Amino acid sequence: MADILDIQGLSKRYGAVLALDQLSIKVPQGSIYGLLGPNGSGKTTTLGIVLDVINASAGTYRWFGQPISKATKRRIGALLETPNFYPYLTGEENLRITADVKRVDHSRIPAVLQTVGLAARKANKFKGYSLGMKQRLAIGAALLGDPEVLVLDEPTNGLDPEGIAEVRGLIMDIAAQGKTIILASHLLDEVEKVCTHMAVLRNGKLKAEGPVSSIMATNDLVFISGGAPLEALLQIARALPFVTEARQVNQQIQLTLQPNSDSSDLNRAFFAQGIALGQLVVRKKSLESQFLEIIKADAV
Amino acid sequence: MTSLLRIELRKLLPYSTFWVLLLLQCCLLFIFFYARGNVMVNGQMAGAELYQFPKLWMHLAYISSFLNLIPGILIIILVSDEYAFRTLRQQVIDGFSRANLVQSKYSIILLLALLLAAYVLFLGLGFGLYHGQNTDTSSIFTDSQYIFYYLVQLVGYMSLAMLVAFLVRKTGLAIMVFMAYTLVVERLIQWQTPDALDKYFPMKTLGALTPNPHAEIEQLMLGVTDTLSPVQALAPAVLYVTLFCFLSYQLLRSRDL
Repeated sequence: MADILDIQGLSKRYGAVLALDQLSIKVPQGSIYGLLGPNGSGKTTTLGIVLDVINASAGTYRWFGQPISKATKRRIGALLETPNFYPYLTGEENLRITADVKRVDHSRIPAVLQTVGLAARKANKFKGYSLGMKQRLAIGAALLGDPEVLVLDEPTNGLDPEGIAEVRGLIMDIAAQGKTIILASHLLDEVEKVCTHMAVLRNGKLKAEGPVSSIMATNDLVFISGGAPLEALLQIARALPFVTEARQVNQQIQLTLQPNSDSSDLNRAFFAQGIALGQLVVRKKSLESQFLEIIKADAV
Repeated sequence: MTSLLRIELRKLLPYSTFWVLLLLQCCLLFIFFYARGNVMVNGQMAGAELYQFPKLWMHLAYISSFLNLIPGILIIILVSDEYAFRTLRQQVIDGFSRANLVQSKYSIILLLALLLAAYVLFLGLGFGLYHGQNTDTSSIFTDSQYIFYYLVQLVGYMSLAMLVAFLVRKTGLAIMVFMAYTLVVERLIQWQTPDALDKYFPMKTLGALTPNPHAEIEQLMLGVTDTLSPVQALAPAVLYVTLFCFLSYQLLRSRDL
């Protein structure tokens, strides 16, 4: 699959602060790509650069294999940071301006308003909209022109739980049409629920990148108990070559296995030692603990 | 350019600030003309003497130039609004180039200058015909090139206002910088500079486009100063407009939006 966006060695310096340090990522076609990181980690800076509103200090990027141009911009729909509209114009008037800038026919506007649930409020002024409505209008503006790629920076910011669920549903629907979505978020839960690929940023540095499943699969936890005293289990486990970490947690032994081995290897090994395990549970680490681990790895 | 103007008009026409300032400008122009024509000089209405074709065109262009601050402020508001609403940023994301941003504001400047010049032309016809004695129809538009000079002057003022707004980005501060430069700072610099040089300064060049019809009296009181004739000032004025637009573009290119 071709890469929609290819970022090479992107850096951005604000005075003494290095907001982005040598970032290189590739966004595959058809993926929902999550850019995850705490506030101030460089997500918006990254998106601002590839959307042509922030000048990079170093590095290059290519959309669809080409440098950015009016032609590539028309294939991208984007919402960066805040919904940016004229407050004294109505939602519909604002979308007309967006459509003109994108050179999209105005006939798409009613459908887009319908999609984001603002059809009934289209004649109201933007300044009277609630935060959630503003956010949805911005998503609607990004959808005008039927773009191949959607870039969304914190799309659920300021939305109530119902709104968050709606926006997520919208993102899934759009992705189901084969479009690529690049999503920046500081909400792990959001990335975990929605994304296929992810990159974790911290202090402008790339901490991890890849398919969400592979990042999560590398560190499965296995809990075992029964068949022998915990101390004995611990001792045997520590002696096994494919166990990278073993410790006692709440009357269970918690093990971390090497990526190429699985729980049946473990069971076989214990059986060979004459121990039939009473319980063997595999638990995928939650993205949250994963995330904190990635973040902490740097803090040391 | 026309598609850019169409987009600008979509923002402008529903904007009440725009209409208020435009109306204010038009009312003030009318009041200025009217008041000046009704001053009694030697027991005679000044308008009877001042508003005769063809010399009224030079006169009106000169009076109108006193009100150039308002169109300048209007342009500053329109540009700094785009920063406040972060819509410049959105338009670049959606497909505009930096040059498009300057071009679209410049298209509005041209439109406003044309509107105001046409309005002054229209008022001139009205006042001229009202006060006119034995008006010879063939001389009505003689010397009406002063309205064209006024138009170029307006474009110059508003281009400078646009540059200041792109530079400063905050409405209030930009208006203050614009007023300080046009009213005070340049005059202070002129004061310290020889006439041969300072006649090419932006404000003096633009001012030279609409000369005082009573320049002799003024020079009698303030001393002789060397200024360009309107025809001489035309080329440097156009050059300044180009420079202001180019600098606006360079500013947008070098800074983050």
